[in-house]
Amino acid sequence: MSGGKQILAIIKKDIIAELRTKEMVISMLIFVILAMIIFSQAFNAAEKSLVEFGGGLLWVAFLFTSMLGLNRSFVHEKDEGCLEGLLMSPVDRPLIFFGKMLGNLIFLMVVEVIAIPIFLVLFGLNIGASLIGPFVAAILLGNIGISSVGTLLSTISINTKTRDLMLPILFLPIIIPLLIAAVGATGGIISGDREQLVSAYAAMRFMAVYDIIFLLVAYALYDFVIGE
Amino acid sequence: MRKSSLILASIGTLLLLTGIYLAFFVTPEIVVRIEGEEVAQFSQKIFYFHVPVAWVSLLFFIIGGIFGIMFLIKFLIKREQSYDQKGYAAVEIGFLFGILVMITGVLWTRADWSVWWDWDPRLTTYLILMLVYAGYFALRSSVQEDSTKARFSAVYAIIAAINVPLTFWAGRLEALKPVHPVVFKISGASMEGPMLAAFLVSMLGMTLFAFSLFLMRLDLLRASEELDYLKEQVEVV
Repeated sequence: MSGGKQILAIIKKDIIAELRTKEMVISMLIFVILAMIIFSQAFNAAEKSLVEFGGGLLWVAFLFTSMLGLNRSFVHEKDEGCLEGLLMSPVDRPLIFFGKMLGNLIFLMVVEVIAIPIFLVLFGLNIGASLIGPFVAAILLGNIGISSVGTLLSTISINTKTRDLMLPILFLPIIIPLLIAAVGATGGIISGDREQLVSAYAAMRFMAVYDIIFLLVAYALYDFVIGE
Repeated sequence: MRKSSLILASIGTLLLLTGIYLAFFVTPEIVVRIEGEEVAQFSQKIFYFHVPVAWVSLLFFIIGGIFGIMFLIKFLIKREQSYDQKGYAAVEIGFLFGILVMITGVLWTRADWSVWWDWDPRLTTYLILMLVYAGYFALRSSVQEDSTKARFSAVYAIIAAINVPLTFWAGRLEALKPVHPVVFKISGASMEGPMLAAFLVSMLGMTLFAFSLFLMRLDLLRASEELDYLKEQVEVV
């Protein structure tokens, strides 16, 4: 099998497993909506305009939701002995990284496609028609960073004593630079202000650089992390 | 103790003491204009200590990442562990000096901005970096098997070192407003004469001192590994 086919096979495996149980996507979805309700109550959203920190709320919700999925995706593999099977199969190990990373990316995006409209409606935010493209691009750039760093670090954390407890401690500080940029980008786009849009695009350039660096680094280092 | 670390430590200490002497007795006090009045800033003296400490801490974080890469390269050729100890010692030194950066920084912000903490990009950046490296120690204590621990720490040290410049860059994005003074710009340093001399002496002294600490820590780690090995031997007999 060629590299592309091998990656596709891993993604297909994850999607089939998920379609049988549907436990991951559904719990992520419930979690993200719950997070929004908690925000609206904690920040008293009824009385204030959320334009200023709409971007921040969105990314905090997505970040915590993504961790749910990242942990899940390897707990399965580890507990059911699936990881050994994957390692013994004639697949290049770095390709396993891309397979798992794209799988995580797809699940996160499925959740977001449903969650973002709900978020915009619940908090009464509008995105101008001309800005939908940049908005989607900003979300996508954030997701790529989250799933590439997250896949690498959740492979590490699942092999430690504390397992899923370890992921937030390793993952959150590493992802903060991306979070700063992502909040700036989506916040600027939601505001629609011309000046803020300029800094939003600067933040998106940073996100693109961050994504490329960590995709390459994770790809190069994955061999050392997975299995013996 | 090794001779080299002793020599480094004594030169470093001498230079540091000279730096402190120069900072307090030779360099002029900085005068700034606040609302038309000229105010001498004695608190600026901490600069001769704070900046070298910050430099050393960042330097050792990067060195930790380089040892991580070297460990992984060696690991591919022959399963050797020595770079794991070096990387661990480097990150420890970086973290130790990082704590000093936070302490001296907070003292200075209190004296100059009259608050203990401000969400300035550099302060925030440094706090994030400290948390990244706190994760390094948490990771190490959470893996039992030595070779796995070494592999994971090397990988994490590399990611963390790459994250150092990225975190500084992210802090420069529009989202946060900078208040931290910038002394060194691309166009050159805004310092001259005795101030520059005092600063350079402190920088060199701090760097040498930190390297001597690093060598001592490395010896200590090796000794404790040897001790573990000997204990095992005794138990077997």
